[in-house]
Amino acid sequence: MILNGIITGLIIGGILSLPVLGVAVIYGITGIPNFAIGVIGVFGGFLTWYFLSFNMGIAVLVGVAVCFVVGYVLQRILLTPISERGGDSTLFFIITISVGFVFEGLIRAIFPRPNISLALPRIGTIDIAGVTVEGFKIIALIFAIGTLIVIRLAEEHTEVGKSWQATSQNLKLAKFLGINTNQVFSIASGIGCALACIGAIFWGALYNLQLSSGWELGFLGFIIAVVGGIGNIWGGIISALIIGMVMSFSGYLLGGMWQSVILYFIVILVLIISPKGILGSERSL
Amino acid sequence: MKDRYEKIGTTAVLLIPLLFVFRGGYLQEVTGYVYLFLIQGYAAWFLFFRSGQPFFGYSVTMALGAYGTIVLTEICKWPLFASMFISSVAAAVVALIMFLSTSRAKGFYVSMASFLLAILFPNLIDALQDITGGRSGLYFSGISDIIGYKTLYIAIISLTAVATGFFFWIMGTKTGKILTLISENDQLTQAVGINTYKYKVLAYIITGFISGFGGTLYVNYTGFISSVDIEVFTTLYIFFIPLIGGSRVFYGPILGALFVILVPELLVPVERYFRIFFGLIFLLVIVLLPEGLAPNIQKLLGKINLKHA
Repeated sequence: MILNGIITGLIIGGILSLPVLGVAVIYGITGIPNFAIGVIGVFGGFLTWYFLSFNMGIAVLVGVAVCFVVGYVLQRILLTPISERGGDSTLFFIITISVGFVFEGLIRAIFPRPNISLALPRIGTIDIAGVTVEGFKIIALIFAIGTLIVIRLAEEHTEVGKSWQATSQNLKLAKFLGINTNQVFSIASGIGCALACIGAIFWGALYNLQLSSGWELGFLGFIIAVVGGIGNIWGGIISALIIGMVMSFSGYLLGGMWQSVILYFIVILVLIISPKGILGSERSL
Repeated sequence: MKDRYEKIGTTAVLLIPLLFVFRGGYLQEVTGYVYLFLIQGYAAWFLFFRSGQPFFGYSVTMALGAYGTIVLTEICKWPLFASMFISSVAAAVVALIMFLSTSRAKGFYVSMASFLLAILFPNLIDALQDITGGRSGLYFSGISDIIGYKTLYIAIISLTAVATGFFFWIMGTKTGKILTLISENDQLTQAVGINTYKYKVLAYIITGFISGFGGTLYVNYTGFISSVDIEVFTTLYIFFIPLIGGSRVFYGPILGALFVILVPELLVPVERYFRIFFGLIFLLVIVLLPEGLAPNIQKLLGKINLKHA
């Protein structure tokens, strides 16, 4: 049971690390807490589900691309202008929640079913120390870790990544050096929403997606990011894996009803004991 | 002097719906519901907007009042009014614990901790469904059995006016002025030798108690509560009340409560598109009217008066 719990926890944590990564990228670069990210990601998940009957690759591409564009446009026309007017975290909290309402409404209005499961192809099972695990779950975990490594490498070794770092560390200096910071913010927001969409696709393939899933994924993504140290990508990933374990074991030991209670209780305790998260925040809220 | 007239005028306006008792029916029912949220809205107005304390646990303090009243009355067989009072005290204690436990954190982290409590609480209610009824909820005849529905309505309108009057009164005292200073510049207030901690504790206790008391009224008026009624969105709606109405004027939360409760009523015919319109309307108000509805209506009325003059 323990090994089973660990493997399930790793997989939940791995999938959750994608929206967490989205939150970390957006917050780390723009300094804006975007609570709509989960709902936008799930909107992309529903789009993917809608186009699955045509072609799986195209369906995933459509979902991820639409989420990228939504994130990009949202940042460009709404969040960056408000940030320039001196908007604070509370204002962004309210604005992005309202954006989330709009996308939740769009899911309800556009798609015929409020509860879906994405039928992505399964690739059999793998036996790990006597525990049988779906191959697809392993792929989800590898993809999450791979995405993290790619983003980290891109940040260190590409021009775009360096402009991200410069913008997040010193906005005025980045502007002075000629970096188009508005473009950097918009791309970061687009990537964040696209990552949330990939997380939602995996979640929808392994479990299911409902109208409320967006809020759950978004809030979970945000609190995991806060526990890890908001804006700190490694802290976020470690936190996602720990939270995955907590969810897995509390589900096994106490039943599904207590899973969320234990999870949020632990997160509140972490916030009380160490307000800057496990590894410390790279920005301050 | 202007503030004084505005406070008296707002409290008097709050009593107007007492006249609806003669008409009864839907208007009375909806007004009662608006007022139940107005109490919560004024609690948020006082603590967040006027005292600068980043607290998002209004649905929790409200739920503690509501569930506490039912559990103490129905299960522990306590007298109703004692149950209502103790539940309100419990809500104040929880708000205080939330403040004390997050006092090391700053700004948005405190908001997040109380916001997480607002997410946790309905889950806890679901997990304790043998006692709380979970999503199926609990029914409660409560005070309306004793004093009747109309009297209860009058009590809710009057008590909301009293609670609001209390908030207005306290904002005019030395305590209120220090809380305003804290909201404007906490560090500077400390630097001039004021023990800000003491005043913040007081603000949390007052808000927790009144929000909890609002919860006890809620369950008596609606006769039912479930985890769905206290979902995290409830806390957001409560927070939207002063934000949308305008937190800088005393009557702002009244407009905010009308807006937050009545807009969904107006959108019933387009139920399928409800969340889209709801989100868009909120976005438009927040982005285009950042000061809220009240100051802009005031400006508009001023312009109309000028034209006529």
